[in-house]
Amino acid sequence: MSINFPPALIFILGSLLIPLIPGKLRSSLVITLAIGCIAYVANLTVGESLVYPFLNYDLIVMRVDKLSWIFGLIFSIVGLIGGVYGFHKEHAGEWVSALLYAGGALGVAFAGDFFTLLVFWELMAIASTILIFRGSFAQSQAAGLRYLYYHLLGGSLLLGGIILHMREGNSLAMEVLTDTSSLANWLILIGVMINAAIPPLHAWLPDSYPRASITGAVFLSAFTTKSSVYILLRLFPGWDVLIYLGVIMALYGVVYAVLANDIRGILAYHIISQVGYMVVGAGIGTEMAINGASAHAFSHILYKGVLFMGAGMVLHATARSKLTELGGLYKSMRLTFWLYMIGAFSISGFPLFNGFISKSMVVSAAGEAGHKGIYFLLLLASVGTFLHTGLKLPYFTWLGKANGPATTKRALPKNMYVGIFIGGSLCVFFGLAPQVLYNWLPYNTDFRPYNLYHLVESCQILLFTFIAFMLLRKKLAGENKGVVDTDFLYRRPAPAFQRVTVDSVNSFFGFAEKGFKKIVAGVATLGVNPLAYIPFSGEQKGEFNPDVSRPPLARGICVFILVFVALALWAF
Amino acid sequence: MDKISRKIWIAIIAVATVILIALQYLALNEDHDHWYDKIPGFWSLFGFIGCWLIVVASKKLGKLFIQTEEKEDKYVD
Repeated sequence: MSINFPPALIFILGSLLIPLIPGKLRSSLVITLAIGCIAYVANLTVGESLVYPFLNYDLIVMRVDKLSWIFGLIFSIVGLIGGVYGFHKEHAGEWVSALLYAGGALGVAFAGDFFTLLVFWELMAIASTILIFRGSFAQSQAAGLRYLYYHLLGGSLLLGGIILHMREGNSLAMEVLTDTSSLANWLILIGVMINAAIPPLHAWLPDSYPRASITGAVFLSAFTTKSSVYILLRLFPGWDVLIYLGVIMALYGVVYAVLANDIRGILAYHIISQVGYMVVGAGIGTEMAINGASAHAFSHILYKGVLFMGAGMVLHATARSKLTELGGLYKSMRLTFWLYMIGAFSISGFPLFNGFISKSMVVSAAGEAGHKGIYFLLLLASVGTFLHTGLKLPYFTWLGKANGPATTKRALPKNMYVGIFIGGSLCVFFGLAPQVLYNWLPYNTDFRPYNLYHLVESCQILLFTFIAFMLLRKKLAGENKGVVDTDFLYRRPAPAFQRVTVDSVNSFFGFAEKGFKKIVAGVATLGVNPLAYIPFSGEQKGEFNPDVSRPPLARGICVFILVFVALALWAF
Repeated sequence: MDKISRKIWIAIIAVATVILIALQYLALNEDHDHWYDKIPGFWSLFGFIGCWLIVVASKKLGKLFIQTEEKEDKYVD
């Protein structure tokens, strides 16, 4: 290709135009940019790279290989789906941040060196925060700030790791990190773990995503965690610790999703659960596992987008998002229900949907690498996935007894249906034609998802999860309660921390200010009427009435003459 | 759901279960010939018990320490 630039620039430069054009055209520009970006990424050839000298370093601002390409492609597709879904939105700030966020994710996917990675990493953190601020919940602002602090911490750890990495004499280029005894590598890993929402560093995700704006949540569900999965696949393949962390994630999300009441909260916990599969894939590190993790990230972005779009439509139409306030919406939101269910069937791994063709790859990779226990635990997590996303959420939102009005408050814009439909169609397309996706994977594969054994295994699990749900469904109704997650580690001590760092300093300043004011006032009072210090003057301290206390002219003249007399005596 | 459709549902599920268990034995091959593959309806049991376990264990954990009385915040749109 003759013109060569990092694809991230399409979104980043495009975002500069957003404030300059009329509100109604903004989403059209986003869609145009996304289509341009998809076309550009699709035409990139593997092996291409772009190097800029900067100070003493060569920055690889773009490096195209199959791993970066597949992530770059899906990130661009999200731009298109999000643009269509949010077509009715005119807010400049929201579109600018969505574009910068998408640009950051694309930049991370194609970054070839640590410096470029860090720049795009931080861009993502800041741009995505705006999407949370734009949420309409009472807690949106506070959750956005917590999110920002968490990601700034992650970025700092990443930066610290990169600096140490360089000091150890390594190059700036992003290569596979193998040394598990290097502090630098661990700092980088922890920085990436924060963005991948690996417990116990995950609490920012279920805290912020359910409170983000409706369109914003669609972008959020796609970029941050999946770009981190990409970095794990790129830098840390084969790190055993990731296998165990991944399987903990997969189950952790499931447990919390039982207790979550907010529909987007349930979906947020299932991001953690699903990303767990990808983290396991990175930890196993075999060709099949890397393929599986990449494929699952690709599928996940599509179906999770559909699920967040469906939940967002419920929120938009009813202004309610809790299971304890929803229910009985099937009649008024039939189409939304079925479009949501495409995402639900996909995430649950139903045959013919895209979750089936990618999840099975990770699970099989675990089995083939000899991790039998992990294999069973991942299948158990997939039971939980179907239980919540495929059964509990839709049942208590659309089908079950209405806990609030069974009607909608607002009509849904048509573009929302189009957006979710595009996402759903892609879920079905890749489910029916897995080979298309498999050809894009980093390594060649002859994996066949549609074999009889696998079909029987999945169908038996799904059918009996359904039966168990129907028997247990009363237990699963939402409860209007909060949940304690690891965020209590910083949310509980936050008031005490504020007392020590802010309130104590404030009160010291207050005390000092008061003291000084008192001294100044005292001194000022003392100086108001100095005559009061002369004994028998009859004057009052602190009171000065010029008409009464002003000394007569004769007194001044008297003092004047006395001084001259004294001078004259002294001169002789 | 009324009684008739309930019966139909149960019949469909029963037939599907029988077919899936029969297919389980056709699906055995050299890659998949573990001890558990030969237990009739192994994956059905796995799904059923797994689902029950997830619900009961999560609810238990919720009662123990995860759930709080704190109400979630309001949508102010």
